[in-house]
Amino acid sequence: SVFKQNIKKIMSGGDVEVEVNDIDDVSGVVMDEEPDEAETVERIKSGVRVRKGRGFNEASERISMQEGEYDTVDSQQNGDPGPARSVEGWILFITNVHEESQEDTMYDLFREYGSVKNMHLNLDRRTGYAKGYALVEYETFNEAKSALQELDGRDLLGHKLHVDWAFVKGPLKKRGNNNRTSSTTIKTISGTGRSTYRRR
Amino acid sequence: MSDDFYLRYYVGHKGKFGHEFLEFEFRPDGKLRYANNSNYKKDTLIRKETYVNRSVIEELKRIVNDSDIMKEDDAVWPPPDRVGRQELEIVLGEEHISFTTSKIGSLIDINNSRDPDGLRCFYYLVQDLKCFVFSLIGLHFKIQPI
Repeated sequence: SVFKQNIKKIMSGGDVEVEVNDIDDVSGVVMDEEPDEAETVERIKSGVRVRKGRGFNEASERISMQEGEYDTVDSQQNGDPGPARSVEGWILFITNVHEESQEDTMYDLFREYGSVKNMHLNLDRRTGYAKGYALVEYETFNEAKSALQELDGRDLLGHKLHVDWAFVKGPLKKRGNNNRTSSTTIKTISGTGRSTYRRR
Repeated sequence: MSDDFYLRYYVGHKGKFGHEFLEFEFRPDGKLRYANNSNYKKDTLIRKETYVNRSVIEELKRIVNDSDIMKEDDAVWPPPDRVGRQELEIVLGEEHISFTTSKIGSLIDINNSRDPDGLRCFYYLVQDLKCFVFSLIGLHFKIQPI
């Protein structure tokens, strides 16, 4: 299939990115995930039980994603786990934001720990209410760290905010059990509405 | 319930100014890739990538779940055409959707389609996803993606 070819292209080293260089220098960190990541995407796609959509039958534009080099922020080159700095500061990601939250309330909460350089409290595009997450940027690590520690778990309109770093330096460790049996029955629903069952 | 998650969205067309497109992809290891290409006025291709934290992926999963997009089907949606193409591919747990459709002009196009509810669900989810990604990329790289 088209995407299998593209995955093979990645794995042949076409665009393995710079931020995972010098694997040997980093001890105790699972960095060999990077070249396997394409394989992981392939694996989770093939491990599903239900497939639906025209996209399986059509040539895709996904090739545009796979070619070429991608810019990164420099701090993400050393690969040990932990928060990553953004271009001009440190960004926190806040979830479980109550839908009636207002920007100024959010701002008042966060300005206590430092100078808020940027804040996004995005709205649900359909309802106009807060979507449920926000991003806050501080210039220094200490301000951000302090806000994270003090505001994680803080009540806002009856919801406990979750505050965490938005960006990290390397791939997330796999978690949970992915013990799929090697033989899976896949149900494919094609665009014509027919269902076919295929045993792999 | 499996933890697997993958999401990719593409919108674009090929025309007078070359292959103009916007695409972003969230991979299971937290890597977010973003690409924006246009040859209009000789703009260059913008390509950014970064790793996002677990909570970002979890929030994305929640947004996808709440939208009910996994229950939809693109079978009768307008197919991609000369004007443009959208692709939305999501793996969530044990389900994998890969939807394609044309560009959607407005809610009027949706209301006149054969599956207004499904297409509307897609339309709003895509807007929410773009919002999400533009905030992440825009703040991290200090660029204005739009």
